[in-house]
Amino acid sequence: MTDLLTLEEYQAVAADLNPASMSFVDGGFRPSVSGNTFESTNPATGELLANVAACNAEDVDFAVHKAREAFEDGRWSKLHPGERKEILIKLCKLVKRNSRELAVLESLDSGKPIADCESIDIPEFIHTLTWHAELIDKIYDQTAPVGNDAIAMVVREPIGVVGAVLPWNFPLLMLAWKIAPALAAGCSMVVKPAEQTSLTALRIAELAMEAGLPKGVLNVITGGGAEVGEPLGMHMDVDMVTFTGSTVTGRRFLRYAADSNLKKVVLELGGKNPCIVLNDAENLDKVAEQVVAAAFWNMGENCSAGSRLIVEAGVKDALLERIKAHARDWNTGNPLDPQNQLGAMIDAGHFAKVDGYLQQGKADGHDVVLGGGTENGTFIQPTIFDGVSNSDALAREEIFGPVLSVITVNSYDEAIAVANDTEYGLAASVFTANAKKAIRAAQAVRAGTVTVNCFGEGDITTPFGGYKQSGFGGRDNSIHAHDQYTELKTIWIDLSDDAVDGSVD
Amino acid sequence: MGNTTMHFEGIYTPVITPFGEDHSIDYDAFAAQVQYLVDSGVQGLMVGGTTGEYYVESHEERVKLLEISKQIAADKAIVIFGTGSVNPDHSIKLAEDGAKHGADVILLATPPYSLPTQRELALHALTIDRAANLPIMLYNYPDRMGVNMEEEFFDRVGRSANFMAIKESSGDINRLHMLARDYPHIQTACGMDDQALEFFAWGAKSWVCAGSNFLPKEHLALYQACVLENDFNKARRIMSAMMPLMRVLEQGGKFIQSVKYGVTIDGRYSGEVRRPLRGLNKDDKRAMNQVVKTLKTTIASILAEDSAEQ
Repeated sequence: MTDLLTLEEYQAVAADLNPASMSFVDGGFRPSVSGNTFESTNPATGELLANVAACNAEDVDFAVHKAREAFEDGRWSKLHPGERKEILIKLCKLVKRNSRELAVLESLDSGKPIADCESIDIPEFIHTLTWHAELIDKIYDQTAPVGNDAIAMVVREPIGVVGAVLPWNFPLLMLAWKIAPALAAGCSMVVKPAEQTSLTALRIAELAMEAGLPKGVLNVITGGGAEVGEPLGMHMDVDMVTFTGSTVTGRRFLRYAADSNLKKVVLELGGKNPCIVLNDAENLDKVAEQVVAAAFWNMGENCSAGSRLIVEAGVKDALLERIKAHARDWNTGNPLDPQNQLGAMIDAGHFAKVDGYLQQGKADGHDVVLGGGTENGTFIQPTIFDGVSNSDALAREEIFGPVLSVITVNSYDEAIAVANDTEYGLAASVFTANAKKAIRAAQAVRAGTVTVNCFGEGDITTPFGGYKQSGFGGRDNSIHAHDQYTELKTIWIDLSDDAVDGSVD
Repeated sequence: MGNTTMHFEGIYTPVITPFGEDHSIDYDAFAAQVQYLVDSGVQGLMVGGTTGEYYVESHEERVKLLEISKQIAADKAIVIFGTGSVNPDHSIKLAEDGAKHGADVILLATPPYSLPTQRELALHALTIDRAANLPIMLYNYPDRMGVNMEEEFFDRVGRSANFMAIKESSGDINRLHMLARDYPHIQTACGMDDQALEFFAWGAKSWVCAGSNFLPKEHLALYQACVLENDFNKARRIMSAMMPLMRVLEQGGKFIQSVKYGVTIDGRYSGEVRRPLRGLNKDDKRAMNQVVKTLKTTIASILAEDSAEQ
């Protein structure tokens, strides 16, 4: 990635942007059928970025129809995998060429710090797309061991028309997590970006057309959950929905599937992820650095955020001191300023929700060890509450803001019990110098990803998704992500025909 | 940002430009023609269309025709301003001045002769759009321009919400099907007079028809039957009565001259045509007289019959 610019330079790039604002269907931009639009604003300033097409069921239906047409005639689904790869790689190149514009657009639209957009979101988008593109002509199907009288082939075929419903916290990256494996597999897609963050997905669709992706294969329908998400979930001609977002909405998609065509549903939902620090953890400075990143990265608007610090009493004070020291380096402010690590909350409604937790936490008498303040109805300081019990709302509910709850425990067993005492199971971290304890903890915590002596989500080569109410039906990233966009088919060929061994006549 | 979607519904007359014997524009006669059309109840006027012989008019003349039209039409009819030119820079200037002088919509055609690619055409169109930032009616007329607006063009210009309609004058019925099925958000305006019924059947709600320069009532009658009453039996009878005129206009080889002569028959001054065109000869005029007379009588009787039934 190129070097960061100055705030003024980023502002100049921002002034030059002319974001596409209509839905993207069948290879071109279109206004909504109703002609209605909604305002997309910069959450940091409230400034209007674009009047985006407010689509509804009619638009969804048209997009699904076009996606189906594209899928059935095989313009993409039956293309040689090598050709699919080539087009997706070309898209990666175009994204790279336009990365600065995309990074600024992403920051303006979502409130994310520009430095993160430049160094994480855009490169990861490209990496994810490249990985799946490179994968697609290297996957072999199987034959089953069925003896000499038959050949049984076990093959994977693209599942069909995929509806992808995206969250607002990583608009580009989540888009990549969905479209990379699905498009590589040969599916057609109807993507619904979050209402707050539609602009970069539209730009990617435009670049995909430039790259040569056939019409109708990637469609982006903008609009609200009730108007676009529900019709997509209920559509009788959508084969699968992949959703990343809240657990509440995830449940709805299961209902939609049950009430419509029993489409496959893959859910990647919320988390209340434990960060376990045991007394024997080494290098507390590094631990503190990781805990801070886990709790505050992306303003805590991250389903895998380490929002519960479960720390053994013996090490707690020393660790908290270091955490405070590290957290003070995290500047909050204008997302376009590359000096800032924390940007704006996604919108006023979400700000109010997170602020509500701050107020409640204070009212309940928890110690505010750090932060606790807000600015301009947009920014929330990184905040740490000490003295939290795992039964408190601060420890049970997904706040989706830069709020860390510290829960003190007295033993390894208690730490594991507290870590597992949650309805979620997305991610967890364990910090200990004892290898045996580390592995036992990793085995004991019921979560989709457990990291040891660090915070992270793995990378494109490892599956990402949750246990319990954090997820259902599949995984993002890795070859498992590819598999979830395919159907398994058995092809059985009988070889027992007499003619084969020449015994006839 | 883009403009609110404009709904193109009704008869839009591409206004003729009356030239005097010295071939200068007779602005008074033009004003009288515009007044006549507004009084006749057409929904819109197109200034600087093919029928207006824009290609032999100067920039200043075209802008002045717009000013006169706006002044007379006021809020009774919308004014669509043509920006067509061989030279794209001239089109941009026309778009700018169109916006400055109150055009409600601009008409955006492919530039003739240069044979641009679809990508080049789209970039051209988006540039003109930026110059005016007004609702746009596209104008596809490959017979005169040498190129068609293809799917790639529509996909690319879709980035701007201003591209709201297309006047389709290719005569290729398959293009109508393509537009109706794949680009339902782009309103189709009939630009091929002899296919009006087909356009209306596929959901078009507007008709840019040169014949309405002298037969506005009859053209409105077809629009009324198709769009407002959805009575395609009656519409077919009206269209059938119109077909001889359509044949003269679309297939007679003297489109503009015939329209202008129609205005003359109707009693207003339409004047000369600018070169290289020449006026109708005696035989052509006789044929036009006959066609117009029969058409008026037949449609009047269909309408009378209809109102008698009510």
